[in-house]
Amino acid sequence: MARYLKLYLWFWAQRLKVLLEYPGSTLIGLFCQILTQIPGILAIWVVIRQVPGLGGWNYNEVLLIYGLLTVSMGLSFVFGQNLWFIGNGYIRPGSFDRLLLKPIDPLFMLVVEYFSWSGMGDALMGAVVTGKALLALNIMWSPLKVLALLLSVGSGTAIFIAVFLIGSVSAFWIINSIPVTALFYMTHIFARYPLSIYPRGVLLLVTWLLPYGFASYYPASYLLGKEAGTLVWAGPLVAATLLFIGYRVWLFGLRHYASTGS
Amino acid sequence: MNEVITRPRTEAALIRTVRRTVAAYSAIASISLKEAFAYTSRVWVPFVIQFISIVVFIYFWRAVYASSGSTLGGLSLRQTLNYVILAQILVQLWEAGYIGLFGYLLRQGQMGLELVRPIDFQFQFYTRQLALLLYFILQRALLIPVLWLFFGLQLPSNPWVWVAFGISVLLGHAVVFFFEWCIACLAFYTTEVGGLYQTRTALARFFSGSLVPLALMPAWLQALTGFFPFAQAVSVPISLLIGITPLTEAPRVWLIQLLWVVGLGVLSRLIFRVAIRKVTVQGG
Repeated sequence: MARYLKLYLWFWAQRLKVLLEYPGSTLIGLFCQILTQIPGILAIWVVIRQVPGLGGWNYNEVLLIYGLLTVSMGLSFVFGQNLWFIGNGYIRPGSFDRLLLKPIDPLFMLVVEYFSWSGMGDALMGAVVTGKALLALNIMWSPLKVLALLLSVGSGTAIFIAVFLIGSVSAFWIINSIPVTALFYMTHIFARYPLSIYPRGVLLLVTWLLPYGFASYYPASYLLGKEAGTLVWAGPLVAATLLFIGYRVWLFGLRHYASTGS
Repeated sequence: MNEVITRPRTEAALIRTVRRTVAAYSAIASISLKEAFAYTSRVWVPFVIQFISIVVFIYFWRAVYASSGSTLGGLSLRQTLNYVILAQILVQLWEAGYIGLFGYLLRQGQMGLELVRPIDFQFQFYTRQLALLLYFILQRALLIPVLWLFFGLQLPSNPWVWVAFGISVLLGHAVVFFFEWCIACLAFYTTEVGGLYQTRTALARFFSGSLVPLALMPAWLQALTGFFPFAQAVSVPISLLIGITPLTEAPRVWLIQLLWVVGLGVLSRLIFRVAIRKVTVQGG
């Protein structure tokens, strides 16, 4: 375990060296990623400020949901983006065999080979929006609320990564796993707004099947003292379960891996 | 005497040239179409994702109207929903750009090969984009009955409205094409195009009116959208289709779009002529 932690930090150091090699490009990349978040936020700003609220949530409360989700989403790309590329980047050109030959776990190797810097742009923008909303909302802070906030960012990130992992396994059969991963991933846009605006089916989907709600709606509800908030404590458990399922699915897929060639 | 002999010859030559040109461009169009349909998952997954994003927007706007009353910015809930559904579909015209392809051709050194082909480089790209528009229409057409069935999407029955809309989409598509061309030429200077692409997409998503109908934006934002070409391919044709802009206004709308097309078209040719000097192909 200690060895893996050391390796993880070492890979991060290498990635940072690459990023610092072209500082201009790195900064522009970050800036452009931040830009991509602006339309969604601007839309909330334009619309929700004109009306009393969205399903009983006011402007700043909706921003809090949006911000929290964006933080988890951004961080999941920082730590897990390479899971998207397993098919096109590894299995198709045959370099997945290289991962299997390393004296460390192939999944670990796959994840650490690339940290997405642009995800940092999303996470930063999400943090700014979350911070703005939290300041405007005058929340009565308590140690429990701070804990809930931190736990939900952690479990939200883990939920996204687990979904990437489950999607990536399809690469063992269909090579290009990006469409499958994208399909699972894009469901997260439901969780950008209060889940109370959707019919029950969507609520169940985003709570128990692809549980993005634990990254946004439930922690925001808890911080604001709303009814659905108590579910926030289930977040870590849901995330752990999903990661466990993801890892089992991964092992199952790995057994079915046939290298390129005939 | 000579004239009699040469005239049929030049006519034959002309016919041959026209035939060759048509054959070349239709080959490009058909290859682009085949390429687009080649991977089944690349056809149906965007379709499902598109459906998800539309569903999110439908419930979002229902909740907005539930708390605000019957009209917002002069639009009823039904009008806004019709608008937003169609806008989510049409905004894809902005996303299916070719900035990335330009960057790829440059980095791979294939740009040289493209430039020596005996056909107009820009028109070749335009043909490709037209074929992709056809692909796009075929692929997304199924969404319309689904959305009509489940979410009561309303479309006009007057065929002239559809004609007006069709012309407006074609013009809007050309606006997108020439604007993309100007931006893509920047790749000759920057080589890396990821940032350009993201910036353009972010601006397009908002200023095309795909997220929020322009009528709901504050006046200063509405004024700002007029300076960008983005709305010409999304908000403008949709407003015609769902009756926000009356049919009698159609010629005026087309004229404005045509001005954008001509302006950006000329600009794109000029920029290309300057930028092409920058091209370095593998070893300069």
